[in-house]
Amino acid sequence: MELTRPLYQVAIFLALSCLIGFGSNLARNNSIPWLAQELVLAESIDTNSNEPVLTAISLDQAKSFFDDGILFLDARDEGYYEAGHIKGAMRNLFLFELIFKIEEEQSKSDPLVVYCGDPGCGDSEDLAYDLQAEGFTKLYVFKGGWLEWSEASYPSETGL
Amino acid sequence: MKNILKGPVVILCRIVLGGVFIYASLDKIMHPEEFAKAIGNYHVLPFGLENLLALALPWLELLAGVALIAGVMVDGAAIMVIIMNIVFIFAISQALARGISIECGCFSVTTEGGDNIGFQTIIRDIGYLIMGFIVLYRKDNLFEFYPKSV
Repeated sequence: MELTRPLYQVAIFLALSCLIGFGSNLARNNSIPWLAQELVLAESIDTNSNEPVLTAISLDQAKSFFDDGILFLDARDEGYYEAGHIKGAMRNLFLFELIFKIEEEQSKSDPLVVYCGDPGCGDSEDLAYDLQAEGFTKLYVFKGGWLEWSEASYPSETGL
Repeated sequence: MKNILKGPVVILCRIVLGGVFIYASLDKIMHPEEFAKAIGNYHVLPFGLENLLALALPWLELLAGVALIAGVMVDGAAIMVIIMNIVFIFAISQALARGISIECGCFSVTTEGGDNIGFQTIIRDIGYLIMGFIVLYRKDNLFEFYPKSV
């Protein structure tokens, strides 16, 4: 089979769909941003409000949540968790197992902090969105994660 | 086996695939924001690229669907359909493997519930994939208008 012509056609399809798709976004009234927005850092937090939340929090806010006894969830793989994690944090499991375990301790409307390794990792955000899709309504993503927490020498522990 | 790649079977595959892809594109073209969220739920794209994909992909589906039915650039359209289905199968499988239950975002992106991903979604896409290969490796060029058959 000759390949040049089909590939040339593929290029035409790709170029046309980008052109029309992006062009129509410029033309329409309710256009969407070119890139999806990242989670914004919360300025103030009211854990007593009944509004559903999914927001990022800073190290200080995470520490005050920790002091209030709010449940932390480690979104990293088991090996990292074993090497060191925020004291009392729950280990990441298969999603439905994890939900079952969280619900043994609290309801879906109680606040929950999710973190992963460092500000660059996306696992905490991914897990937070997964949990949101499963009906959890108060989710806080601690973007600084284990890196900022351990650098601040806040309470931590090792082992499973 | 060679008969499959000829005449009515190929025409049928083109019409079914074309219809499915045109139908799948319409709701997404009307509601790119909802489609971007549906893509975002799969967690496969970095840097917020889901919005760009949500703008271009539905038009790609529409153009490929129209081209298959109209008999224009059928080779290119078949390759696009094959690539898209491979990507869909990959995205759905990784979501299933991670145990996340999400809306498919395959056809309608605005209705709530009822269209969650599952093994049946993968089977369906494999079906489309096979039809795409039948069209790509067809032995005749019935009802094709551009480019003229070699």
